[in-house]
Amino acid sequence: MSKNLRQLVLPSNFLRFSKRYLHGPKRKYPVNKEEAKKLPVFQYPVSKSSYRRVFAWGNIHTGALGIPYTDKEQRPDHTHFIKYPKRITFGEKHEVTTAACGFGFTVFAVNSQDENKVYGMGINTDSQIGYHEVRHGHPLEIIFIPKPIHLPFKNPVESKVLKVSAGRAHLAILTDEGLFTLGNNAYGQCGRKIIPEENYTMSNYIHHISDVEGENIIDVECGQDHSLILTEKGKVYSCGWGADGQTGLGHYDNAPEFTRVKGDIEGENIVKFASRSDFVLAVNDKGEVFGWGNTEYGQLTLSDGSQQVATPTHMKILEQVGKVKSVASGGSFCLAVNEDGQVFTWGYGLLGVGPNAQQSREPIHIPDTLFGRNDFQPNSRVEEVVCGLFNAAAVTNLGDLYAWGRNKNCCLGLGNDKDQYFPLKVSLGGFVKKMYCGVDHCIAVCEPFCM
Amino acid sequence: MVAQNAAAMWNALRGIVCVYKPAEASVRKLRRDLIMKICKGLNEVDENQYYRPFKPHTSNATELIQQSVDRSVDLRDHPLVYGPKFDELDLSLSWSNFLGWNTSGVLLFGLRSGTQSARYIRENRSSRAYRIKGVFGQATDTGFKNGKVVERSTWRHIKPFHFDKILSAMQAAHQKKMFEMSGIDMQSQLAYELAAQGPIRPINSKLPIIYGIKCIDYEGPEFTLEIQCINEYETYLVGLIHEIGVRLHSTAHCTAIKCIRHSYFNLDHALLSRHWDLKNILQNIRMCNRILAENEHVLKQTSIALR
Repeated sequence: MSKNLRQLVLPSNFLRFSKRYLHGPKRKYPVNKEEAKKLPVFQYPVSKSSYRRVFAWGNIHTGALGIPYTDKEQRPDHTHFIKYPKRITFGEKHEVTTAACGFGFTVFAVNSQDENKVYGMGINTDSQIGYHEVRHGHPLEIIFIPKPIHLPFKNPVESKVLKVSAGRAHLAILTDEGLFTLGNNAYGQCGRKIIPEENYTMSNYIHHISDVEGENIIDVECGQDHSLILTEKGKVYSCGWGADGQTGLGHYDNAPEFTRVKGDIEGENIVKFASRSDFVLAVNDKGEVFGWGNTEYGQLTLSDGSQQVATPTHMKILEQVGKVKSVASGGSFCLAVNEDGQVFTWGYGLLGVGPNAQQSREPIHIPDTLFGRNDFQPNSRVEEVVCGLFNAAAVTNLGDLYAWGRNKNCCLGLGNDKDQYFPLKVSLGGFVKKMYCGVDHCIAVCEPFCM
Repeated sequence: MVAQNAAAMWNALRGIVCVYKPAEASVRKLRRDLIMKICKGLNEVDENQYYRPFKPHTSNATELIQQSVDRSVDLRDHPLVYGPKFDELDLSLSWSNFLGWNTSGVLLFGLRSGTQSARYIRENRSSRAYRIKGVFGQATDTGFKNGKVVERSTWRHIKPFHFDKILSAMQAAHQKKMFEMSGIDMQSQLAYELAAQGPIRPINSKLPIIYGIKCIDYEGPEFTLEIQCINEYETYLVGLIHEIGVRLHSTAHCTAIKCIRHSYFNLDHALLSRHWDLKNILQNIRMCNRILAENEHVLKQTSIALR
């Protein structure tokens, strides 16, 4: 074909000067700029600074997520697990300040104008979230919607809840009027005398501890069946089940009253402690870590090879990680975060360093890239770690949540029911401030992005 | 210039050329313009040279006519008879990244055998960086400034740290998506090793992934974002600005999109259209080919990791 003929077949000039070619997207009428000035200016609402978004995920059978559950026969399409974080309406109606996840129940502390400061939902077999009866003598053993827990405050309207912590079947509420404990006291975990054959289901008793030895309580942590409190001078007191030494009192008996924990932490100013199951980690103001309790999974290596330690012991293996800022102790493994935001893990289970690493007595550094630190986001640091029994989570300074571990009842919130062998980001519509792990559900309290 | 000969220059026109695309011009138009300028330049190099040797015909019938013809010129090869020597349809040229009508910035074209390289660059899914400008307070029907304003809203409550919050959350969400899109079994040791190594590229070429997004300037209602991404397209970026506006309890539209980097090619390498002449184009091809030779993985990727 001659060149002239080819040009005739494809008239390039036609393409070159077509209208779309010169002017871009076509518009039927030209845009009148003046019309924009006539439009009203919308003002979208901006959240209050105290507003928090609350997300929940995991098992809904227990009622701990506040979602009414019906039998499978009634609704075959009913979901049993919330696989993704679900924003719950309780957070929209109340200003949630803090929360706690127990074994199948959830407690929220709210900033309210009325007398209701604490709300609970979930399993209530031991009155751990208060006594709620539909008719006289028949208390509810499971609660699907958040119900207020009435505490015997001196000043019910003005008082504030500082922290809540929940164990297997007991609850501790730290307020500016002291500590309130309720629920199961079979091992003395509520800090009161053990009454044999006590009927906890019918119990309406809330125990009050205003101070210990004249010192104010500033922090409380519930293990599985034991409780720990921290006073303003950095002293630790414990009570409850001590069969594995988790009370740290030097013996393996139950402690029905809060007793000072000594050993290596005597004289140290403890600032933080963590215990989800039966091993306790405590951090002092210098960033040194102490541990006691059940160490059968190698959480704490002892010279005599024993699997229980009832006296707080300084953990020398953690000196290599630097100053520890946050710790978490799960069912069979432990986590620590140092000042640089690096996460270390040791113990047994899904440690978060791939499927091949099952056990370690030495702290293993989980790569920072897994927590979102890369060339594009070099300032990402882990601020806090939280443990469930078999799962773990980390919160970064950029408000991101990373989860890994056993995915029991979809408690990781990653959208599937598979175990996760390394930290993976949980998709949440908020800036995560605090994270709480139960045994098969989780709660995240988040800030909105814009307020 | 190395070669003064048009044929030698034609032979040198193989490889990648990196040009600057202005906004409000289509890539097709740029391609046509570039071809036109190259061909025009080549035809101007040796305007009056004809290569076909003059062969005298021996036939008696034509002898009389030929005697009257100027024998120094073979009219069969004359441009007025044959047309220009280098025709626009002879030059194959294809783009390796498509930028939309409103996008400006780095654009890679493959010339002749370089079209193959352009294809490899496209299929290897190299990352790109954009600088996007937007304005709070107005939403348009197209999401871009040329659209009709459909809604106005307040924006003064938006502070820079709100921006940082939403952008870091978006970035982290995309990095999670990156693992899901990589096509790796999340329960395997390989998945852990890749995740620990850093960002990876998605296996799918359709889903946009943002690796880095940050606000580099926020003044008044106007803001500028810098985005590092893969598989993006203009509508997606426009939609992103709209979504950021909604998330920040306001509305926003986009005013400018500029591609500042495409794999290793950045704005310094891009040739402005007013410099499109043969000399500069040949120089640019040499420079681009050198960059490709230095970074072999642009053409041939062996790893899923982002490079």
